[in-house]
Amino acid sequence: MIVSAFLKSLFRRRGRTLLALAGIAVSAALLLDMTMLASGLAVSFGELLGASGYTLRVTPKGILPFDSEASIDDGAGVARRIAAVRGVRAVAPVLGAQFRIVRGDSTGAPVFTVGIDPRSEFLYRLDSGRQPGPGELVVSVPLARDLGLKAGDELALAGELDVTLGRARATRRYRVSGVGDFLYDYAGEHSLAMTLPDAQAATGRAGSVSLFGVATDAGVADDSVVRRIAAAVPEVSAWSTRQLMGEMDKRLLYFKQLATILGSVAMVVTALLVSTIITIGVRERFGEIATLRAIGVSGRRVLLAVIVEGLALAGLGCVAGLPLGLWMAGRLDRILLSFPGIPARISFFAWEPRRVALAMGLVIAIGALAGCIPGLGAVRAPLAQALREEAE
Amino acid sequence: MQTETVIEARGITREYPYQGDAVHALRGVDLSVARGEMVAIVGPSGCGKSSLLNVLAGIDAPTSGRVSLLGTDLYALGEGARSALRLRRLGFIFQRFHLLAVLTAAENVELPMAEAGVARDERRRRARELLEYVGLGGRAGHRPPHLSGGEQQRVAIARALANRPEVLFADEPTGELDRRTGEEIITLFERLNGDGTTMVIVTHDAKVAGSARRVVEMADGLIVGGAR
Repeated sequence: MIVSAFLKSLFRRRGRTLLALAGIAVSAALLLDMTMLASGLAVSFGELLGASGYTLRVTPKGILPFDSEASIDDGAGVARRIAAVRGVRAVAPVLGAQFRIVRGDSTGAPVFTVGIDPRSEFLYRLDSGRQPGPGELVVSVPLARDLGLKAGDELALAGELDVTLGRARATRRYRVSGVGDFLYDYAGEHSLAMTLPDAQAATGRAGSVSLFGVATDAGVADDSVVRRIAAAVPEVSAWSTRQLMGEMDKRLLYFKQLATILGSVAMVVTALLVSTIITIGVRERFGEIATLRAIGVSGRRVLLAVIVEGLALAGLGCVAGLPLGLWMAGRLDRILLSFPGIPARISFFAWEPRRVALAMGLVIAIGALAGCIPGLGAVRAPLAQALREEAE
Repeated sequence: MQTETVIEARGITREYPYQGDAVHALRGVDLSVARGEMVAIVGPSGCGKSSLLNVLAGIDAPTSGRVSLLGTDLYALGEGARSALRLRRLGFIFQRFHLLAVLTAAENVELPMAEAGVARDERRRRARELLEYVGLGGRAGHRPPHLSGGEQQRVAIARALANRPEVLFADEPTGELDRRTGEEIITLFERLNGDGTTMVIVTHDAKVAGSARRVVEMADGLIVGGAR
């Protein structure tokens, strides 16, 4: 009964308590967002890496995918050796290049182009039309939209630009066979895909491959296939999704540091808010608390009631903070994704129920702890002195 | 006829540290209270009346001396045990009523019973009975801010009676009340004492003192009259 009485006391000063709850909700929302941000990019990237079913990447030795212009010579031979490794289900070669779209006398900005095996559907999903054959292209949805392209249209691509004359060189003509949704593009990006032999011929890099995507058999651990590929083909590097996420984590350390700092600030603010409200409330009820102790309510029960007040404040703040945090995460995600070069399918904020529950649990625990301090002060105050002060 | 002694205090001193020195609130007090007595402790401000009450009631440990309350060496018990004794066998009434404003009158009376583990139906029934006893049967559902000072003190008295205390302690129970309301409270005390409740009351109020069977006078930390 004393616990419920103390909880009712919390809402006696509605305005003050609601303000405190609003503050705790904002702190809880910030902590939720920082928790989601700390791992969001890595988790989202990991999901994207495995989206097409190709969960491993094989690259030139010591190079991360598309991190440099290095390539693997004798792509066909390496592909055969990878395909022979136990646990490998499919191998998708990719050659990266840059071409410029030529329209009339004008030459456009460089467009990222991939030479692929049309059977693999590794880097894009076909939206309309069909996979490219020799002399054909799949264009990205934004490119098709911006240039009004559809299957059957012709497109001229230049491999080089004469910077003195401003004219395209090494121009070849291709037919658009289809429009594709490119998985790793940023929003609005113009991308192209052609057959691997066409890309090798256009770039003069016969037989070369930038990387391979590798799909594994069901039930086979990716890490074990990575080890076997490394043993069978020692001149390349093999990466599992987990390893690539780890590399991503290292590169995004500043995000984690920012998230940790802001998350810690949120927890401190929560502790201060709860502690302040409870302290003021306990001070206002000093006489009541002293009287309750005098009539025989144990100090332990009074302390429990005050701690429950802190728990309730923090708990209600979390409940209000959760939808606020999710809304803020959505807005912040849209802002961060507008930075150039970020794949559109990435999310900076990952909803991981276990981590979110842990973060909210931490806020509630901090509420309880913050209630502890004024509570201990109230029950440890010498009773006779407290009664005397209240009588004066 | 031999009457049972419910409170026996011997050689009580109480010092409070103050700016490197000590304030001697009690300087060697002996006092006995028999069952069914109503004892008023009177004296000028600062003479140690409230300090003595707190020591007798188990609220404040003496610097030296011994207190036996209801046959128990009071300060041989730990704070938890003294708390339990206060809850189940003693009653307290204070100058400032200190009811919980968020609870109704009935809920305030129920609170000590809830802490003592009395079942909900039983404590609700007893709370209604006690409020009737103190003349507030029709105000059970009102919260303290909607009660007058006299009504709040009556609720406090009902709360003090909740666990059927053997001894009732009151510190300036009419201090915050007007004369007429104070007289109503005195009447209630007389009724309680008539029903057999042992009472120890600290008071400045001559009328309260006048209604007591024994008046203990204090001055400068000592009992100067009325001790046994």
